[in-house]
Amino acid sequence: MSVVPSNSGQRTGRLYWSVQAGRNVGVRGLFLVVLAFIVAYGFLFPGLFTMAGFAKFTQSWFPLALVAMAQALLMLTGGISLAIGATVSLGAVIAATTMVGPLGVAGGSALVAATGLGIGAITGFIVVKLRLPAIVVTLAGSFIIGGAALLILPRPGGAMPEWLSDLLAGNTPAAFLLLVVVVLLWKLYLATPLGLSLYAAGENPVGAYRSGVPVDAARIAAYALSGLLSTGAGLFVAAQTGSGDPVIGAAFTLNSIAAAVLGGIGFLGGQGTMRGALAGSLLLSLMISVMFFLGFTPVAQYVAQGLIIIGAVALPQFRKVQR
Amino acid sequence: MSPKARIMTVLGSRPFLTLLVVAAVWIVASFATRGFGAFGHLRYLVELAAVIGLVAAGQTFVVIAGGIDLSVAAIVTVAAVGLPLVSSSADPTGLSAILLVLTMTTAIGLVNGLGVAYLRVHPMIMTLAMATFLQGLLIIIAGGSAVSLQNPLVGWLGNARPLGIPAGVVLWIALAAIVLFVMHATPFGARIFAIGANPRAAELSGVPVPATTIAIYGVSGLTAGLAGVLVLGMNGQGYVGIGDPYLLASIAAVVLGGTSILGGLGTYAGTIPGSILLVTITALITVVNASPGWRSILFGSLILGLLLLSGREAARR
Repeated sequence: MSVVPSNSGQRTGRLYWSVQAGRNVGVRGLFLVVLAFIVAYGFLFPGLFTMAGFAKFTQSWFPLALVAMAQALLMLTGGISLAIGATVSLGAVIAATTMVGPLGVAGGSALVAATGLGIGAITGFIVVKLRLPAIVVTLAGSFIIGGAALLILPRPGGAMPEWLSDLLAGNTPAAFLLLVVVVLLWKLYLATPLGLSLYAAGENPVGAYRSGVPVDAARIAAYALSGLLSTGAGLFVAAQTGSGDPVIGAAFTLNSIAAAVLGGIGFLGGQGTMRGALAGSLLLSLMISVMFFLGFTPVAQYVAQGLIIIGAVALPQFRKVQR
Repeated sequence: MSPKARIMTVLGSRPFLTLLVVAAVWIVASFATRGFGAFGHLRYLVELAAVIGLVAAGQTFVVIAGGIDLSVAAIVTVAAVGLPLVSSSADPTGLSAILLVLTMTTAIGLVNGLGVAYLRVHPMIMTLAMATFLQGLLIIIAGGSAVSLQNPLVGWLGNARPLGIPAGVVLWIALAAIVLFVMHATPFGARIFAIGANPRAAELSGVPVPATTIAIYGVSGLTAGLAGVLVLGMNGQGYVGIGDPYLLASIAAVVLGGTSILGGLGTYAGTIPGSILLVTITALITVVNASPGWRSILFGSLILGLLLLSGREAARR
């Protein structure tokens, strides 16, 4: 599974695409399910195919896509984070308290990005260099990060510049374009030495280390990038709601793991692809929207969501057993 | 092993070290804050720790077997909210309602186990999905309002103090004895450690892995249900969200007690002081009288600091 595109100069285009196609094998079924859901959604809500409808839908998907990428990035290196939700909240409150102040949008964005990178790097350092289990570190970290969010903004409030909210969460597909940019940046990152080491560090850390792969650096970088993606999602959520809320990210921890696992990312590291995680987050997002349009009560939504996640994860396992 | 070597092993073991940390924190805190060292206050702390200790009992089993149960908070809530609803006036003792609720929570745990063992869903996903599912169920049965308790036995469990010891603590001591016996002196206990250390090797050695896995999650459902009954008795009423604090607390208690989150290594003897340590930390933070944000930061930092002292994994190369 963990074939990483080589960045050597003489790679032929044909080889590259055949390798890429080979990596789709595991997620083909998922793509079909996603497609079916898109058709169902378009049928229930024909407005999806207008510019405004498309913009609205991609906006509801965008933050989930970012946190799914953040979680998948960690799971590929054999890590996990239970602090994603708290980090999203922290990003949201920082954005909502700085952007209308003297720092402005540029300064606020820089602060949000630096916070995400910093928190992620510290978490990564503790997990990798001090050798503490990731689950427990990020669990404790979620208290610290959530507490910091509460310190900055004890209750929902703050404000976002109106033009930014209009740009990101208005009737333009800016969120979708941003996502395309993020995915392109991910592709670029995979071509750097650290990105190349990512899969190796997750799949077989000892073997990779002995082959000279910078395993520790790759894992710490993954945590830092994951933090950046999470606070970025927080910034977007703040723009969407027009204000900051210190607990707004809570649901993202669970959903990020669910999306990554739906997308075929393994818990043991080195298994899965980012496109799978993105498809997983899209499926989750579509599922929630379709159930909403079908008039499911919140209760039925919870129940159905639980069942669908288990079903989607269990089915591929059945096929593996039969083989 | 000579008696002296055996004593040295016990003194150097993780459970004992955790106990030492608890004792040190208690002594320092008693001198630093008035009233902390009073017998009534310490007894109250242990009473609170009993709830965490009960939830963490099942969690210890699951974690030693290499899994994790993220549905315990939802199960505690199901028990605390469900019990008043199934209590009937026909049974004056209230025992039938307790048994019914415990059967229900055990069944929930068994379903978790079925998913993990036969559907091969990762424990984290299976139990998270179960928690989501139960959350929906709870809204149906409770409708979001608090339900008050009318069950004499549960009320006794939450408030009575035979010989000055809270009934909840008595329950905890009894359960701890059973858990320690099952874990360290029965074939079932040995199989759990085997599965956690290496499931494939365990299977090839003839351990009934699926059946044992299902049983482990069933136990976790049972102890979480017991905790729900106890917390209902102490609180007087059940509401949606009553179990929420116990998810993180149970995992933290297990890890602080020296059980490896990776499985195969650990003991409930460590989880017991781990639970008390956790409650003590929370109590101290309340004494400091800080804002909710600082309290949360302090709590997380203290757990992280304690982990640094004790929870490190071995180098992998």
